[in-house]
Amino acid sequence: MHEVSIAQGLLEIAIDNCKKQGYKNIDSIKVKIGKASGIVSDSLLFAFEALKTGTIAEKANLNIEQIPVSGFCDICNKNFTVDEAYVIACPICGGSSFKVETGRELNIDEIEVSW
Amino acid sequence: MKIKVVTNILEANDRIAAENRKVFDDAGVFVINLMSGPGAGKTSLLETTIKDLKGRLKIGVIEGDIAGTDDAQRIDSLGAPVVQINTGGGCHLDANMITEVMNDLPLKDLDLLIIENVGNLVCPAEFNVGEHMKAMLLSIAEGHDKPLKYPLMFQKSSALILNKIDLLPYTNADLEKIRKDSLSLNPKLMIFEVSCRTGEGTGEWTKWLQSLVK
Repeated sequence: MHEVSIAQGLLEIAIDNCKKQGYKNIDSIKVKIGKASGIVSDSLLFAFEALKTGTIAEKANLNIEQIPVSGFCDICNKNFTVDEAYVIACPICGGSSFKVETGRELNIDEIEVSW
Repeated sequence: MKIKVVTNILEANDRIAAENRKVFDDAGVFVINLMSGPGAGKTSLLETTIKDLKGRLKIGVIEGDIAGTDDAQRIDSLGAPVVQINTGGGCHLDANMITEVMNDLPLKDLDLLIIENVGNLVCPAEFNVGEHMKAMLLSIAEGHDKPLKYPLMFQKSSALILNKIDLLPYTNADLEKIRKDSLSLNPKLMIFEVSCRTGEGTGEWTKWLQSLVK
C-alpha cells in the first residue's frame, strides 16, 4: 500500500528536477529499488501510472531496477548475494558476522527529459 | 536528454522527520514510534504503560488509525494527553502527518511521547516520523513465521514486545523461533515477553522505558 506514497515521492522529485533544468516533459524515470526495501514493483508501477496523469510525466515510463540483497562475510572474506529479502547467516560459510551492503535502496537514479 | 538525479525517494519525508525531531529535542521529550500488525495490542500496551508509569513519567500519545477515535478515547480516559490522526485509508503515518498535530500536545510538559502507528506489519517501517526509537509488538497468536516474512520492521525496531503470552498454551507458536529469527535479523533487538491482559512481564518493559527516558 505504501507504494502510493513512494510513487508520489518519486514523481515530485522527477518533476522538480525536470523543471529546474528547464525542460517540459519527462519521458522516462529510472529507479533502483532494493529487494529488502519492502516495495512490490507491480504495486509501484500501478500507483505510478495512476498518479502521473495530468503531470508533465504523463507519458513517462517507469523503469525499475531491482537490487538484490548482497553483502560481505567477515569470516570467509567473500561477497555473497541471497534470494531472500534478508540475511540471517552467510550463505557460503554459515557465519554470523557479515555486513549487508545492498538491498535497501529506494532511489531515483535518472530521468530522461525533452522540450 | 538524461539527467542524473540519484536521490532517495523518501528524502522529503526524512527532511520533515528531521524537523519534527528538532522540535521534540527542543521540548525535551523522548519519542517512540510504536508499530505492529492490527490487533497485536498496541493500545493495550499503551494503557498498561501509562498506568504503570503514572506519577513517574508524563506520557502523551498520538494515535494513528485509518478511521475512528476508539483508541484515543481509551487513552483520554486515563488522563493522558492524546491526539488522533485519521489517515482516511492511508496504511502508515508519515512525517508530515505528525507535523500537523504535534503542537496540539503540551510537548514541553511531557517526558515521553508514544506515536501509535497504523496497524500494519509492512509499510510503517519505511517512514521515519521524527522519533528517537522505533518499537514493535508481535502477539504470539500471529505465528512464529512473522519475523522472516516481515523482516524490515524487525530490523528497524530497537525493541520487540511479544504480547499475549498468556495465550501460549492455546497456540502452537514457537517462542524460541521468534526470538532466534528476530535476533538473527537484528542482534541488538531488546525482547520483552508480556501479557497486557494479565500484566505478566509488563514491569520489565516499563522499567526499561523509564531508563531510556531519564
